[in-house]
Amino acid sequence: MKTIAIYNIKGGVGKTATAVNLSFLASLDGANTLLWDLDPQGAASYYFRIKAEIEGGGKKLIDGSTDMEDAVKGTDYENLDLLPADFTYREMDSFLEQTRDPVNRFNKLLKPFSEEYDYIFLDCPPSFSALSECVFAAADILLVPTIPTTLSLRTYQQIIEFFRQQGLDQTKVMPFFVMVDRRKKMHRLIVQHPPSFMSSVIKSDIPYASEVERMGVHRAPLTIFAARSRAARCYTSMWDELRAHIYAMT
Amino acid sequence: MPDIQHSFVIPDNQSLPSLVSSLKASFPVQEQAETVYHRVFYDTFDWRLYKNGSALEVYDDGKSQKIYWRADKDGKLKIQLGLRKIPRLAADLPAGEFRQQLQSVITVRELLPRIKLRINRHSYAVLDENKKIVVRLHFDVYWYEPSRRRAARVLTRRLTIKAVKGYAKDYQRVEAYFQAMPLLMPLPIQSTQDNVMKLALIATDVSTDEYSTSLILRLDPEISAEQVLKEIILRLLEIMRQNTAGCIRGRDTEYMHDYRVAIRKIRVALKQLRQLEPQAAISDYMSFFSSLGRLSNPVRDLDVFMLQLEAYQPHFEQEGWQQLQPLRDYLLSSRAAAQKTLVKELKSSRYRENLKNLRHYLEQDEAGDNTHGRPERTVRELADEKLWAINQSVLEQGKTINNSDAETLHDLRKTFKQLRYLIEFFRGLYPAVELRVLSQTLIDVQDDLGEFNDRHNQAGMVKAFIEQSDDEDAIKASEQIMKILRQQQDEAGRRFNTSYKAYSSSRSQKKLKEMFVEYYGRKN
Repeated sequence: MKTIAIYNIKGGVGKTATAVNLSFLASLDGANTLLWDLDPQGAASYYFRIKAEIEGGGKKLIDGSTDMEDAVKGTDYENLDLLPADFTYREMDSFLEQTRDPVNRFNKLLKPFSEEYDYIFLDCPPSFSALSECVFAAADILLVPTIPTTLSLRTYQQIIEFFRQQGLDQTKVMPFFVMVDRRKKMHRLIVQHPPSFMSSVIKSDIPYASEVERMGVHRAPLTIFAARSRAARCYTSMWDELRAHIYAMT
Repeated sequence: MPDIQHSFVIPDNQSLPSLVSSLKASFPVQEQAETVYHRVFYDTFDWRLYKNGSALEVYDDGKSQKIYWRADKDGKLKIQLGLRKIPRLAADLPAGEFRQQLQSVITVRELLPRIKLRINRHSYAVLDENKKIVVRLHFDVYWYEPSRRRAARVLTRRLTIKAVKGYAKDYQRVEAYFQAMPLLMPLPIQSTQDNVMKLALIATDVSTDEYSTSLILRLDPEISAEQVLKEIILRLLEIMRQNTAGCIRGRDTEYMHDYRVAIRKIRVALKQLRQLEPQAAISDYMSFFSSLGRLSNPVRDLDVFMLQLEAYQPHFEQEGWQQLQPLRDYLLSSRAAAQKTLVKELKSSRYRENLKNLRHYLEQDEAGDNTHGRPERTVRELADEKLWAINQSVLEQGKTINNSDAETLHDLRKTFKQLRYLIEFFRGLYPAVELRVLSQTLIDVQDDLGEFNDRHNQAGMVKAFIEQSDDEDAIKASEQIMKILRQQQDEAGRRFNTSYKAYSSSRSQKKLKEMFVEYYGRKN
C-alpha cells in the first residue's frame, strides 16, 4: 500500500480536484483505492455523491470507538472507496492531541487498510497543524499543488523548510504546478524554470481550466464527463508519471 | 468490510432480457455500456500453477491489460500493478514477492497462454434516491473456442451481484431478490477458486495430467519383450513430440531436458530391440537418435552452465563478478549458435520423416507376429538377463576406475544410465520396494558422476573462452571460475568413490542377485 497525500497550507489551489482525479485514475488501473476526505468542508465527499458524515463523528474515529473500515463508502466507480469527511474534522487537531502519540495513532488508523488497498489518497485541509504533521509522517508521497506565483512558491518553501527542521524525509515531497495560465509570462517562466528548491517537481502541470470547476456540477472526476479536455489529459499524464515513480520506489 | 459479491449461473432456459426486465421492474436501475473483454489464463506446459491452486490471469478490455495473481488455493486474486505484460519466465520479473512466489511454483518453466475466454458483459447499477450507485450487477456471457477452426461457443452465463461498501442493506435486498428466483443457481460464496477455468478445461477436453514422463507399464512377465520395447519407444516418441515446440522456442530449459532424456531412453530401448529383431532399419534409427543427442548436447550443456554460473556470485567481489560478463556473452552466443543448428534439424523434413517412419514401423509390427521363426523372448527373460549383464559390465568397468580420467568415468556413467533406464522400463516386473532402494543407490552414483562430468565440460567451455579472449580482466575472473570448477569436479569424484562403493558392495550385489533370481538361478 502506498499513501499519497495532497497537501498545501494554502486553500483553493486544487487539492481536492487532484485527489479526486488521481484516485479515480488509480482505480482505473485496477488498483484498490481509498480516498480519505480529511477536509471538514467535505468537497471530495460531495464530488462522489457521498454524504460528508461519519457516524459518531471524527472523535470516535480517532479514538478507535468507530471502526474505520465500517465508515468506508463505495463510490460510483469500481475499486474506488471513500472515507467521508465529517464537519467535526475541524476539531481534528484537538482529537489527535488527546491521544498519547498523535503520529503513531494516525499511522495505526491507516494500518487496517494496508491489506485491502493498493493506494490511499489523503485529501488534506489547508493548514499547518497536528494533523498535517501526522500526514507528513504517514505519507509515502506528499503532493503539493503549487500555483506558479511568487507567493505560492514562498509557501512551498515554508513546507520544505519545515521538513528540513523536523528532520523529515524531503524526498517524499513532490510539488507540481496547478492553475497554470500560459498567457501569463510569470506562469510560463516559473513552469519552464522552477526554482532550485523545487528539486523533484512533477513534469506534468495542470492548466487553469473551466472543466475542473465543472467537476462540482457533474459531481464526477474529469475523465467521466470531459475525458478529452486538456485538464483531464494532464491529470492522466501526471498519474502516469507518478505511477512510474511509485514503481521505481518499490 | 471485505468485498462482498455473489455469483449465479444463469441456465440455458433463462433468457437474459427477461432477467434484466425483472430487475428493472423491481429496482431503480441504471444501464451501463456493454463491455467485451478477454480473460487469459496463463500456466506452464505441465500445468504447475493449476495443480498448485495458483492462478495467473490477464484481463484485457482492448484498452489496457490487468494482470492478476493468486499464490495458492487459499489466496486472493490480487492485481499486479507494476506489471504491464506477463513474463515468459519468472526470472524475467523484477525481484520481489511476486517473483519469489511464482518461481517457487513454476521454477524455470515458461508461461504460456493456456485458456482464452471472451466475455460479453452487460452491467447495471442499482441507484438510491440520490442517484448514488449502491449495488452493481454484471451479466456475463463467457465464450470459448473449442479449437482454432471451430466457431466460439458459450461456456457459461453468470450473474454477479457486487456490494458497494457502506450500502449493505441495498445489497441484501437485491441478493435476496435473485436468490428467490428458482432458475438461478447460486455459486458458493466462500469459494476463492473461480471454476470458469475448470469449465473451460472440460469444454475443450484438456487434461491437466496430459503430460507425464513416467513410463509406468503394467507388465505381464510372459508377454513378448519386443512388444514391450515397441510400446515403450512409442510412448517416448510421444514425449519427444510434446517437447519439440518448446525446444524450438528455446527459452524453457525443461523441454530440452525431457526431450533429451526421451532420446537417450529410445536409444537404450532400440539397442535391446536390435538384438531381438536384427534389422538394418533399427541401426539407422539408432544413428539418427545418436546424432540428435549430439546436436542437442551443446544447448543443454550451455543451459546447465549458465544456470550454474549464477551460483558462483558469492565467490566474487562485485567488480570481479562484472568482469565475467564477456564469458557470459560468449556462452550466450555459443548457445544461440547451437540452438540455431538444432532448430534447423528439428524443423527439417528428414527429422519429420524419420520419426514418422519409426512410428509406422513400431505400430505396424505391434499388431502381428514378427518373430520370423525366431523363438520369442518374454519380457521377464530379457529383463533378468539384461539387467544382470549390464550390472556386471558396470562392475567390470568399475575395476579400472581412475578418478582423474574423465573419459573412463563418462563411459561408466553411460553404462549406469543404461542400467537405470532398463530398470525403469521393466520395473513392473520386480518388487517395488527393493527396486526403489536399488534405484536410489543408482541415482546417488549417477548424480556424482553427472556433476563430475558437468564440471569437466564446463571447465572446457571456460578454457575455450580464455583461449579466444584478449580481455585480461575477463580472463582473470574466468580463471577463478575454472579453479572453482576443478575443485568441485574433484569433490564430486571423491563422493563418487563412496557412492560407488555402496553400489558395488557385496550387500547391494546380493540384493540384486535375489531380485534377478530367475536368470541367476538358470545361470548357476
